[in-house]
Amino acid sequence: MDLVAGRAYAAERRPIRHIDPVLLIAAVTLSVIGGFMVYSTTHRGLEDPATYVKRQAAAMAIGLILLLVVVSFDYRFFKVYAGFAYAATIVTLVLVRTPLGSSSSGASRWFAFGGFQLTPSEFTKIALALMLAAVLSELRTFEPSLIDLLRITAIAAVPIALVFIQPDIGTSIVLVAILVGVLVVAGTKPRHLAALTVSALVLIFLSFQLHVIKGYQIDRLTGFLDPAKDTQTTNYNRAQAEIAIGSGGVFGAGWLGGTQTNLDFVPEQHTDFIFTVVGEEFGFVGSLFVLALFAVLMWRAIRISFLSKDAFGTYVAAGLAAMFAIQMFINIGMVIGIMPITGIPLPFVSYGGSSLMANNIAVGLLLSIHMRRFT
Amino acid sequence: MLSLLVALMFGSLTTRLWYLQVLASAKAKEAVQNNSVRLIPVEAPRGRIFDSTGRVVLVQNRMSLEIQVSQQQLGENPEEELLRLSEVTKVPIAHIANALRDKRYYAYQPIPVAVDVDPSVAYYIGEHQDEFPGVAVVEASVREYPNGTLAAHVLGSTGLIGSDELEQKAFEGYGQSDIIGRSGVEAVYERFLRGTTGLDKYLVDSSGEIVRSLGSQPPAVGNDLVLSLDLKIQRYAEESLAEGILKARGIFDDSTNKNLHANAGAVVVMDPNDGSVKALASYPTFDPSWFIQGLTNQQDLYLQNEFLAPQLNRAVQSAYAPGSTFKPFTALAAVHNGIATLGGSYGCPAEYIYPGDTSGTVFHNWDPSNNGYIGIDRALQISCDTVFYQFGGKFYSQWANDPLAKSSEPFQRDLRGFGFSKETEIDLPSEAAGLIPTAAWKEAFAAKHPELYRPDERHWLPGDDILMAIGQGSVQVSPLQLAAAYSAVANGGHLCEPRLADHIQTEAGALVRNLPKDCHRTLPYSKVELDYVRSALATVTQGSGTAAFAFSGFPLSQVPVAGKTGTAERPGFDAGQDTSWFAAMVPAGDPKYVIVVMVEQGGHGSTTAAPIVRQIIEKMYGIDPSGFVSGGVSD
Repeated sequence: MDLVAGRAYAAERRPIRHIDPVLLIAAVTLSVIGGFMVYSTTHRGLEDPATYVKRQAAAMAIGLILLLVVVSFDYRFFKVYAGFAYAATIVTLVLVRTPLGSSSSGASRWFAFGGFQLTPSEFTKIALALMLAAVLSELRTFEPSLIDLLRITAIAAVPIALVFIQPDIGTSIVLVAILVGVLVVAGTKPRHLAALTVSALVLIFLSFQLHVIKGYQIDRLTGFLDPAKDTQTTNYNRAQAEIAIGSGGVFGAGWLGGTQTNLDFVPEQHTDFIFTVVGEEFGFVGSLFVLALFAVLMWRAIRISFLSKDAFGTYVAAGLAAMFAIQMFINIGMVIGIMPITGIPLPFVSYGGSSLMANNIAVGLLLSIHMRRFT
Repeated sequence: MLSLLVALMFGSLTTRLWYLQVLASAKAKEAVQNNSVRLIPVEAPRGRIFDSTGRVVLVQNRMSLEIQVSQQQLGENPEEELLRLSEVTKVPIAHIANALRDKRYYAYQPIPVAVDVDPSVAYYIGEHQDEFPGVAVVEASVREYPNGTLAAHVLGSTGLIGSDELEQKAFEGYGQSDIIGRSGVEAVYERFLRGTTGLDKYLVDSSGEIVRSLGSQPPAVGNDLVLSLDLKIQRYAEESLAEGILKARGIFDDSTNKNLHANAGAVVVMDPNDGSVKALASYPTFDPSWFIQGLTNQQDLYLQNEFLAPQLNRAVQSAYAPGSTFKPFTALAAVHNGIATLGGSYGCPAEYIYPGDTSGTVFHNWDPSNNGYIGIDRALQISCDTVFYQFGGKFYSQWANDPLAKSSEPFQRDLRGFGFSKETEIDLPSEAAGLIPTAAWKEAFAAKHPELYRPDERHWLPGDDILMAIGQGSVQVSPLQLAAAYSAVANGGHLCEPRLADHIQTEAGALVRNLPKDCHRTLPYSKVELDYVRSALATVTQGSGTAAFAFSGFPLSQVPVAGKTGTAERPGFDAGQDTSWFAAMVPAGDPKYVIVVMVEQGGHGSTTAAPIVRQIIEKMYGIDPSGFVSGGVSD
């Protein structure tokens, strides 16, 4: 009886029985919606209208395989290798600046493999979350001391700086958000957080002064403060995006029915401005549905953070939740005009293989933490 | 804490989405329309213009071929292609480049670079279309003038709307490629003549390329304008004026020891009973069709010549001293103000000095002999200056001594009553108001131009009234004003607004709107007074009248002609020769026409203007032509 009960107990705790279907369904639904949106904005004028969607589907397939691989490992296994992941990502961030990397409009961001582009900064987010969680979970104190805080910050500062000088301000903001997310959950003292914020602001100010940030980036960042200034140049993207979103009204123009979308009025629409397709073709209702899916995603991530069996899982989940939250907020926020324009993709929805794969890995990690909360 | 932050994020995103998609959606939908829907105007043909018969076309439209360039669709080597286009069309490359730089067109819009091209050029481009990507030959409607230069000043020209005009309220709803009336009735009746522009609606993408048509709204042709102008009389007037001016240039002028320059002239033929204008001519003239293809350098030089000023309508837009043609109005004003009576006798000596004037100013009659005491009728017939000097002098005394007269200035008031010193309100643009000087005007003018007057002459003087009485000094009237004033004498005292247009009708001939005649202003003169003046003027062409020689041999018994000569000094202008005037009423008993002819530097009234009027009347009444009977007397 004991034995039976024991076996039953063990079976009860088998990780596969505790997968989080809600999280998985939310992520997959967002990816599928992304496919339709990418098709809507890219199909016109192409020999094969599904060119982009096919690539996206391939990336999604690879992403799902990666997700399965990650899920099959115990997340604690990654704690051991967090240092390697962190080191690897630093190396790739350096390599991408060498002739091995490719660049466009002055930014060195990716490696080209055949027809695909690999953007290391997408994977840096995951590696940073793992690394910070690993270091923090090894602390012997109840809450991180100032020294710990500085150490952690220094660890995060290296990739943040490397991404920042690519320049990719958007991703560096995401990395900062991961750092903050993990620190908050780890119980950092508010005054320490405040001190950190002040020094970050000083750094940003200095980078403006020393012209580390390029002129066009400043224009794009500050454009949202005065949107009526010049809709033809700096704020053209913003104005067209808002027109697209607004014209969707309550119910939208229907799939493939948006003129802004189908006539290429919104630049970079399949990547950073993908949410305009949702807004124009599916209206307020469709936009709320997508927002709801993200809400589900974040709710599950935060819930996993609470449920995790150990501190490492908690911190990883918190870092990833922060990552999704800040990306979603900055991306949709910039599209609808309440955040500055920084090139951040909308998780799962935007066209881009590296982003999709990295996000799937993140979901895999969250699922792994959730599944193994009893073992 | 993290959850709270995330909740805040969702809250702000949802709020903003609610604002954009629900509250401000209408504005965005409009912006989408502006973004992706292009409206390309389709020009509507302008209405035609007819003469008084309603059958003779003065202005119509014809299809012409226009070459348009779409800059976005030019081939790989646009410069080379445009050079080739310039060679083929013979349009200078600079013109093409200028046209393409026109900021009023959007990049996607085809820009016309050559108008009214030869069909062979269009055919060549059509045959070699592969060499001219982005170049199209389209049909465009342009103005056509079947009668050439006839009535050019009345009809006026058309042209592309200017960017400054586009911003005016009067041209609201006009597009940047619209043709508008630039002068004449084309400009005045623009809103009737202009058709309703049609629209082609297209869906375009962000680079402005047309995706598909969204339907169209066909253009509607403009309404036709029927004038009161009689093309026959107009032709007589223009021919006689041009011929008379050429003849005058062969006449030697004693006072300047040169032939008459006769540089310009004008004719007005008006129906005195309703103010409708039967003919309106100005010399030199121009061809309105020049403006269609764009002016050549020579045409431009000719039109811009300030001395010739061919586009100036001298019948309407210029004012001159009227000379003795003014005397009937002085006479009527004098009788009306008790200065003279119809039965009175007035001395007609060779000289007149204002009573009590010790400055030595002497006013001479044109005739150096003493003509004794004569009535007003005789004074008009022989155009005796000294009789009218007396009237002017008495007007001055009245003004100087009577406080009521000082404030009301009865002489000027009555002259203004004939319509002088303000626009006649004819349906033509930029009319000259002319001038009846007043004491206040003179003081202001002298203050502005002190160099023109001696310090003690900068106020109203006897000489001002005296010279005004014979239509000299600062008095200025346009030929049209004079015709309207003579019409009032001819029709029993009603001042009419001269009218060129009679009515507006649709292309099919249905009446759209009658343009009412306005003769409601009645002058304060009795029928007896007006008949008296008209009878007196009927003697001008007879016996010892100033135009008797000019009308010698004319069958006055069949067609009695009343009229008045005028010789107005115009010192300082070119050769300083006199302005020649003749104002006529035919038939004298019950006038059907008032004819006014003015020739700048045409000498005496009987030298140039009266013979021209005689020729016009001969043609109108089918009387055997007399040639050009010039001369006789000096006024």
